[in-house]
Amino acid sequence: MPRLRSIRNKIGALSLFLGCAAVCSAWPWSKDEIKLGFVAQVTGPDSYVGQAAKLALEDRVKEVNAKGGINGKKINLIIYDSRGESTDAVAAAKRLITQDGVVGIIGPEWSGAAIPLGPIAEAGKVPIITTTASNIKVTLNDNGSVKPYMFRTCFIDPYQGFALANYAYKDLGKRKAAFIYDVGAAYSAGILQYFEAEFTRLGGKVVAKEGYQANDTEFRAQISKVGQAAPDCLIVPTATYRDIALISKQSEALGLKFQFLGVDGWVADELLAMAGKELEGCYLTSGLSTEDAQFKDYNAQFFAKHHIKCQIYAYYALDAMYALEYAAKVSLDKTGKVDSATMKNAIENMKDVQLFTSKLTFEPNTHNPHNKPISILTIKNSKWVTVKTYKPE
Amino acid sequence: MTFFLQQLVSGISIGAIYSLLAVGYALVYSVYNFTNWAFDAFMVTGAFAAFYGITLFFMPFAVAIVFSIVMTVGLALFVETTAYRPLRARQAPRLFMMISAMGASLAAVNLANILFGGAFRKFPDIATGAYRIAGVSVGKMDLFAAAFSCVVLSLLWWFLERTKLGLGVRASALDTVTAGIMGVNNNKIALIIFGISGVLSAVAGVFFGAKYAVFPYLGLVTIKAMIGSIIGGIGSLVGAVLGSLLLGILETMISSYVSSVYRDLISFSILVLVLLFFPSGLMGAKRVDKL
Repeated sequence: MPRLRSIRNKIGALSLFLGCAAVCSAWPWSKDEIKLGFVAQVTGPDSYVGQAAKLALEDRVKEVNAKGGINGKKINLIIYDSRGESTDAVAAAKRLITQDGVVGIIGPEWSGAAIPLGPIAEAGKVPIITTTASNIKVTLNDNGSVKPYMFRTCFIDPYQGFALANYAYKDLGKRKAAFIYDVGAAYSAGILQYFEAEFTRLGGKVVAKEGYQANDTEFRAQISKVGQAAPDCLIVPTATYRDIALISKQSEALGLKFQFLGVDGWVADELLAMAGKELEGCYLTSGLSTEDAQFKDYNAQFFAKHHIKCQIYAYYALDAMYALEYAAKVSLDKTGKVDSATMKNAIENMKDVQLFTSKLTFEPNTHNPHNKPISILTIKNSKWVTVKTYKPE
Repeated sequence: MTFFLQQLVSGISIGAIYSLLAVGYALVYSVYNFTNWAFDAFMVTGAFAAFYGITLFFMPFAVAIVFSIVMTVGLALFVETTAYRPLRARQAPRLFMMISAMGASLAAVNLANILFGGAFRKFPDIATGAYRIAGVSVGKMDLFAAAFSCVVLSLLWWFLERTKLGLGVRASALDTVTAGIMGVNNNKIALIIFGISGVLSAVAGVFFGAKYAVFPYLGLVTIKAMIGSIIGGIGSLVGAVLGSLLLGILETMISSYVSSVYRDLISFSILVLVLLFFPSGLMGAKRVDKL
């Protein structure tokens, strides 16, 4: 019996300790820090998307804190893994807002994971700046009204679909387009929808639409079927460069040559190593290129430090971080404290604020970046080359 | 006709990869009556070992395959001795072994993700290009992978049918308890079975990596192999090969002639139908003489 009592006492003490630890971890002890959250896919099949961004943000936080923080307050970045799943992203956002008490959140990257976060952000009155979630429903409700606490640093799918359709029809003279797309991805299906609407309006025709499921690696059936429709361009709107790498390689293995057209999800230097040869002469839309001169020094430093290549997902995440830093400073200057609702207003009203990639203004009625330029890139000698840039007026 | 033949070739090449893994599933199931969910971890180990063997240590492809097999067999034996054997010794329910396998799988895949990162790696070119036979394109790597897989499966058949150790494995598969009573060392048989599973998943991992890409989550394909194994009759080695080839061909034909969007829906509906009419799978009725 004494032994049993001893065990019971130990369990009791342990429970008390764990309870105190849980309360302490959730309690906003430090008033001198700015708590920010990052919801990213650092594990899961597309973990490359979040891994470079995580490192880039951690570097940025160290840099800001080393310089004394924002108005003397240090940034504390809390990172949770979404695994690219909407359920995990929702759980992470709830935890960041209700338990950790963050005042701003960066991410997630995929539209499917970002769309459900609108009501959570609104309930907690915490601004969320998604990085590459480009579906219009990320920041807009079904009735077209804006989700007050949702923002994004990338451009939207209609914009990308519109630009790609115009370039294909007017500049490349293409009239018959085919698609191989991820049926489960809002991003992929969205671009298909907007491309088709604009391409057919211009007089072109979509002759084949073949789907696949996320994480598929075998596309030969779809490629053969598309080949039978004899399109003069094949669009692969994927957010994962692996898909287009495999599609282009399997097309070549089948002896089928296509004029490939793509989207910003392709832009990763690893694609050049995987299928740069097969994709030579393709065209794609993107807001950024890792070959842009402005990123040269940053890329070199990043690679030297982390031994992995930086990519556009990290750039977009840094844009979101810069925007939150700006908002925190506005809040501190105005109210003397870091208040998430004031930060939201600051983001909404920011005008030409210099972020990591460019100056940015959010449109108040959509929370999208205002007049963000879109570039047409090609692959030449296994390198990204910018062919044309559209600057909306 | 050319289109049909092309799809048939594509389907067989997909099914060949499923087959190697499905046989591994069947082998473990036939003896221990549980599904080894750690196969994806074995496969990932095989693919990464060969990839780094070639790119870091400049091994020739053949040496890299051997290196990959050694590493994967090592992991398989480690999992068997640390995750399964203690549970068997305590006569734990089969469900616990499956959960233990899932834990081992998640741990290994996440470790690979942390150690190597989530990027997709291009396997060094081994057999690129394709032969064109009567308008049908047959990839050189597909042919090589299929031929190598046939050799490996033939060796496995020879081992099981023509050697004393193979006889022990077959005896355990027929009745593990009675075989133990008759003097068969079941722990030794377990090591042999997991060793063979390691070889099969290493080969599958290498060829999957060479055909597609090397990345920590490439083992997701093992779920298809398990389904192939179930269609064929789980526990039956011939059934596993047959079921996997059927699944590969079925997926390709549905994508080609019906819709790629409905591929999984129709494929898995057919699986349900097969199980309704053949609860033990297509070859399940011959369970007694499956080896």
